[in-house]
Amino acid sequence: MTTPRETGSSGGAARGGPRTLAEELRARPDGALARLLRARPDLLHPVPGDLTQLATRAGTRASVVRALERLDRFVLQTAEALAVAPDPCPYGTLAALMCGDAADDPRIAGALPGAVATLRDQALVWGGEDRMRLVRTARELLAPSPAHPSPTGLGPTVAEATAGMSPGRVQQIIAAAGLPGTHDPVSAVAALTALFEDRTRMAALLAGAPAEATAVLGMLLWGPPYGTVTADPAPHLRWLLDRGLLLPAAPGSVVLPREAALHLRAGRAHRAPEPTAPELAPATPHSARTVDATAAGQAFTALGAVEELLTAWQSDGPLVLRAGGLSVRDLKRTAGLLDTTETTAAFWTELAYAAGLLASDGEVDERYAPTPAYDDWLHLPAEHRWARLATAWLAATRTPGLAGGRDAKARPLNALGPDLDRSPAPEVRHRVLALLATLPPGTSVSPETLLARLHWERPPRTPAEPGTEDLRTRLARWTVTEAELLGVTNRGALSAPGRALLGDGGDGGTESAEPLTDAEAGALAVRAAAALAPLLPEPLDHILLQADLTAVAPGPLKRPLAQVLSVLADVESKGGATVYRFTPASVRRALDAGRTAADLKAFLTEHSRTPVPQPLAYLIDDVARRHGHLRVGAASSYLRCDDDAVLAEILADRRSAPLRLRRLAPTVLAAQAAPDELLEGLRAMGYAPAAESAEGDVVVTRADARRTPPRTAPAPVPEGPPVPDATLLGAAVRAIRAGDMASTAERKPVAAPAPADGGLPRTTSADTLATMQAAVLTGSAVWIGYVNAEGAASQRVIAPVRVEGGFVTGYDHTADEVRTYPLHRITGVAELADEHA
Amino acid sequence: MSCLIVQSDKTLLLEVDHEQADACRRAIAPFAELERAPEHIHTYRVTPLGLWNARAAGHDAEQVVDALVTYSRYPVPHALLVDIAETMDRYGRLRLLKHPTHGLVLESTDRPVLEEILRSKKIQPLVGARIDPDTVAVHPSERGQIKQTLLKLGWPAEDLAGYVDGEAHPIELDEDGWALRPYQQQAVDGFWHGGSGVVVLPCGAGKTLVGAGAMAKAKATTLILVTNTVSARQWKHELVKRTSLTEEEIGEYSGTKKEIRPVTIATYQVLTTKRKGIYPHLELFDSRDWGLVVYDEVHLLPAPVFKFTADLQARRRLGLTATLVREDGRESDVFSLIGPKRFDAPWKEIEAQGYIAPADCVEVRVNLSDSERLAYATAEAEEKYRFCATTATKRRVTEALVAKHKGEQTLVIGQYIDQLDELGEHLDAPVIKGETSNAQREKLFDAFRQGELSVLVVSKVANFSIDLPEATVAIQVSGTFGSRQEEAQRLGRVLRPKADGHEARFYSVVARDTIDQDFAAHRQRFLAEQGYAYRIVDADALLAEDGS
Repeated sequence: MTTPRETGSSGGAARGGPRTLAEELRARPDGALARLLRARPDLLHPVPGDLTQLATRAGTRASVVRALERLDRFVLQTAEALAVAPDPCPYGTLAALMCGDAADDPRIAGALPGAVATLRDQALVWGGEDRMRLVRTARELLAPSPAHPSPTGLGPTVAEATAGMSPGRVQQIIAAAGLPGTHDPVSAVAALTALFEDRTRMAALLAGAPAEATAVLGMLLWGPPYGTVTADPAPHLRWLLDRGLLLPAAPGSVVLPREAALHLRAGRAHRAPEPTAPELAPATPHSARTVDATAAGQAFTALGAVEELLTAWQSDGPLVLRAGGLSVRDLKRTAGLLDTTETTAAFWTELAYAAGLLASDGEVDERYAPTPAYDDWLHLPAEHRWARLATAWLAATRTPGLAGGRDAKARPLNALGPDLDRSPAPEVRHRVLALLATLPPGTSVSPETLLARLHWERPPRTPAEPGTEDLRTRLARWTVTEAELLGVTNRGALSAPGRALLGDGGDGGTESAEPLTDAEAGALAVRAAAALAPLLPEPLDHILLQADLTAVAPGPLKRPLAQVLSVLADVESKGGATVYRFTPASVRRALDAGRTAADLKAFLTEHSRTPVPQPLAYLIDDVARRHGHLRVGAASSYLRCDDDAVLAEILADRRSAPLRLRRLAPTVLAAQAAPDELLEGLRAMGYAPAAESAEGDVVVTRADARRTPPRTAPAPVPEGPPVPDATLLGAAVRAIRAGDMASTAERKPVAAPAPADGGLPRTTSADTLATMQAAVLTGSAVWIGYVNAEGAASQRVIAPVRVEGGFVTGYDHTADEVRTYPLHRITGVAELADEHA
Repeated sequence: MSCLIVQSDKTLLLEVDHEQADACRRAIAPFAELERAPEHIHTYRVTPLGLWNARAAGHDAEQVVDALVTYSRYPVPHALLVDIAETMDRYGRLRLLKHPTHGLVLESTDRPVLEEILRSKKIQPLVGARIDPDTVAVHPSERGQIKQTLLKLGWPAEDLAGYVDGEAHPIELDEDGWALRPYQQQAVDGFWHGGSGVVVLPCGAGKTLVGAGAMAKAKATTLILVTNTVSARQWKHELVKRTSLTEEEIGEYSGTKKEIRPVTIATYQVLTTKRKGIYPHLELFDSRDWGLVVYDEVHLLPAPVFKFTADLQARRRLGLTATLVREDGRESDVFSLIGPKRFDAPWKEIEAQGYIAPADCVEVRVNLSDSERLAYATAEAEEKYRFCATTATKRRVTEALVAKHKGEQTLVIGQYIDQLDELGEHLDAPVIKGETSNAQREKLFDAFRQGELSVLVVSKVANFSIDLPEATVAIQVSGTFGSRQEEAQRLGRVLRPKADGHEARFYSVVARDTIDQDFAAHRQRFLAEQGYAYRIVDADALLAEDGS
């Protein structure tokens, strides 16, 4: 089989195919343009003036890299195959490269048109079916070079590899390969290429190869195609070198030319084309009920952990590091507090932070504290509290998994610190959950299977250091563990609330769903909460008291009960149930909080399913008897109140500390503060005291828990511009069309500038850039006006090769060498008349 | 709604009033240890040791997980189940075997594990040559030590090296007019099946008979270690009565007698007597080829005996106790050296079956008089407990209590000799203390048993293993600080079932608002966890009632 070679560009143009990408885009329907802009939203910022600008922008390196990174493995493989194919390339050639000579895999043939269509949609490929062109920047990125070996493992073509070779050496190779000699090096190379591409003749040539030579070819076959040779190569290497099957690449290094490799590979560009995504083979199935129930249990635990964390931090929040974030020591302490690992503790703190429940208080002595939003959150039912956390997690770019590690400059990354935002995080989380959502309820897959699928969808870039994983892979792993902690998944399977959280976009079919509006996200959160609600255990309003001075809450308690109990007793064991132990210290704590013994006993009697054991009643009485048993001291003022509970409350109130109150009798307090200070202090506490005898109404205030000023949750830091919605896309396309109409309409009259008048060409900088980029694409020369560093103006004819970073590099016909000009020094540009081209 | 709640700290809460509670208890008992058994909710704890013991008894992780999942009221955290499976999987990777040529060897089915433990500095001195990549020789004398160390390293070894049979000696139970109670039989079977281990039974539930049952199973020479001479005599008496053994076959090895017979009863005290830096009596362990070693009151096992027990791993070992709580926290050493807990019954369960008497525990709170309070406040720190424990007010209360239970067999138990002497004088009752000769003690006990004496004042010498059948009231006036097991032992004095099914009384007289009260709270903890709800009574109320 012979691959048809490119015979020249004039033939294609004559058939009326588009000459440039801009031209092709112009011919595309609006829908196709909208698809392009949706897939590559970076092209929209700012909205390009016309299609020429759009096309040049689509050809810039940054944009192409971004687009290539978002291709799935098969589409990328197709692009890679195009990069090693002749340019332009007919569909047949591409199909041959993908399927091989045998064309035995119908899946590849079936998937290929789709892949090509994707590449076209993304403006990475243009031109007719018979003249497909990969955008030049993409070609440069994907084509093999010694510095960047191609994933295909193919080397340079014979023509490229022999470019610097002496004609004499080429003659020798031709002769050794058994071809008729010719003195023209170009036709000699063409003859050798033709030989390598001819399967029958090549097979005959290789049949005569020594066995070791065949082994060497086998080693280089799938890449990397480079090998080293000594100055005096072994006979079998000599045999290969003589016939051009190995061509010198650098001193001491040889390369297997692309055509020879393709022959040996039976025409395949890839060792293993992967036309379809790897199956998500389910691991051990669990019953959906178990998964949901256990996930709900875990969701409940998550709520408990966040609440416990913030309860602890409301009075004693850790300091904010000067560089931002939580110190390692504070994280350790937090882990101890939550009885978990530091990684998990970092997750809970970050989760609370992402949900806007936790922030720095912004005071001089900066500390972390719950936000006012936390109070609102606390009053929500459990399922809504969970939904709030889960949606915040799903959308956050904060990545707790990084905490405890180090950044590229080996600086530590702290939890809650400023460097923990990773833009792809929400997308990866969504994708992982969406993939899980494609499985039947209760079914899980192993993380490895999941990663294999994700890697197919977005092939990972080769890691900087071996042994490390790329960010997306790590994000996916973190997602798996974090989802488990939150109860979004359980045992690797998506739970019903987790499924509800994803909405309809979670069918796993589309790569990235439409971005959710706030209202939609809210609706999903409500749905998820509704899915969770029946799974959560009903909060109880009773406990069991036992004679060994413990109380067991056989399930989650209603909030007021749990709050009082957590003051009155120490928690001994947590989980589905809670075990409390009463100690003198804990009872004293309750009395400190303004409760009385009778009050406590009544409370226990009311909430206990079992009679209050006598030792417990005694314990309370005993502690109460001695509580606040003070009598001696000097005082500056005193405070009287018939209601001794109020006085107890004032005493227990932390804000009364500066007044230095002491209780003299049940109804009398003595203060170290002067009477006016005492009055003011009490008023500040919300009481209405009167000097001397009269009494006012007493307003009870609760203990002041620390809060930050109102704070908003940290906004996610998305990568690149957001995906535009349909309205914006429509408007953008219309704007581009209009601009394009304008520019193409005006083009004709000014199409023939008058370079002959001797003046410098003058164009706007946007036009300069667009013309330059167009010239790069077409490879034509342009006429420019240029002002050098000394201010001297000149006119030059250059053939631009690359426009990048404000510089244009091109072959300067005037100076007869390759030069680089800063764009801002170019006064204007004009296309040359056709005869110059 | 099921009856079990699985907590994240690996405790299991069992609701005892639930209809499934019994089935659930049976399902979790093999791997979870009963930690507390108060009236409504019992607490079990899942420990690595318990899981490994379950593995040793032939249970696998699937059964454990299944039991938890079946009975749990709330979903069991997946991580906990994984942890259980992983922990159980660690057992049996290492095995102690008897090799036909190399003697005792440690064999591994998992080479990395063997490599890991051989790198440990603690293991290195205990092992010999490497026989092959998976096997290493172990010095036979280090069998106990290596098991203990491996357990601490988290890779418990399965001991398949077996036991020596010891010198055979015919022993039969003489079940004439009595029979082993069902739980005693279960305890014997559980022990025999497991090879070695500890049996936990409440005081008065007949631990001696479990020992006798084990001896009848072993049919071999037996060494019995007990706490003191009185207890040794009682063991002897009981064995003669309940088994085919005769007086001549049973030797006593104590401070006064040094007999070594097929069944020898020795006291801890004589074993741990040190002369010139050595323990001369420890050779008793090697003096015969013992087939069974019984440790009575294993919670009191002294440290030197631990060391020697480590060397006795080839012999069957039976530990007996009522309360495996040691204030020195060496419970795990007991488990690893003598063996895992083979049988455990909550006190209240035995009580429900009628084998021990129901008891009413009362804490009597005594108010110190004003002058006493002042004196207490100014007392030296180390004298404080003694002062408040021996306060004069307690004497009046004790007298009132004794008067209240006039005609019932009453024991007054205390810590301080002065206090006891004074009480004895006021109550007109004999006092048994350390200096009382054994003959005198037995005479007094006998008189008490016959009912000739109705009140007896005893010091802590009577804490253990004295058999006072008809004591129905015990009054504790002071104790060894906060010792939980002492409190349990003292309660045990009145728990022997009464002929008329009468309820036993246990009074603990405590001085209010002093450290006596704090110690009392700690002492009562074990019993409270066993479901004995203490009532609190004010001494003033008691005295007033008495006066009226």
